[in-house]
Amino acid sequence: MTAKPSQQNPGTTPAPGSVPASVPDPETKDTRNTGPGRLLIAVYAVFAISATARAGYQILTKFSEAPVAYLLSAFAAVVYLVATVSLAKSGRTWFKVSVVAVLVELVGVLVVGALSVFDSVSFPHETVWSLFGRGYAFIPLLLPILGLIWLYRRRPASVGTVVEP
Amino acid sequence: MDVYFYIVLVAGLVSTVICLTAGILKKAPNDTTILSVAAVELSLLVYLVGSIVRVASGEQIAGEPWEFWGYLLTALLLPVGAVYWAILERTRWSNFVLAAVGVTALVMAARMNQIWY
Repeated sequence: MTAKPSQQNPGTTPAPGSVPASVPDPETKDTRNTGPGRLLIAVYAVFAISATARAGYQILTKFSEAPVAYLLSAFAAVVYLVATVSLAKSGRTWFKVSVVAVLVELVGVLVVGALSVFDSVSFPHETVWSLFGRGYAFIPLLLPILGLIWLYRRRPASVGTVVEP
Repeated sequence: MDVYFYIVLVAGLVSTVICLTAGILKKAPNDTTILSVAAVELSLLVYLVGSIVRVASGEQIAGEPWEFWGYLLTALLLPVGAVYWAILERTRWSNFVLAAVGVTALVMAARMNQIWY
């Protein structure tokens, strides 16, 4: 077995994505902004930008038409902003912030999604979360689920979890 | 849908397919994927120049002009931000970040077309 070492992974340091690191390095374990997390953060950032722009536009131009829906838009924008920033930061406190933000996002998309289906009169389809995010290819529904999976896999090691050789 | 949209559509789709393929093949961002994103940026610059020329020659934007320009300027920032984010950590996942640029750009270009007409 003479391997040709330099052929396969030009320019990368760790073998990316080959085996998900179940036991991460001590100095990198408390971050979420690595590997698939970077894709997650990028998508969150796009939603933060678009939700902020949309809510700002709605509130500045036609707030009186549907104040509840537009305040909900603004709330969603804040949740996406907090989720983006907290996922990109390392440390245990930011981890907790991420969990709260993503959980709020999940509850938000489920509640607003359900309300917009069953009570479409008082919930005009004008928030990111309406109809479970159908206007955004259901990514708003998928994002918090992927977010929770990622946060679980990158959770900070709890006290007493010692990796014994 | 006008020709500017179709330019972004083609550049965006090609870039997304290239970057997705590279990501699936577990490659880190390389010249090909980064240049494909640069092509998306170029297509958006074409849209920008074209729109400036059209407005200067008296054409009216049917929707809110500042909404249109907001979309266009945001779209122009996307490829730059994504490339920056992708080369900070060069793994296969960064190629998926780059892949997101193309589809996002073409969705935004479609919305820009709606606002214009």
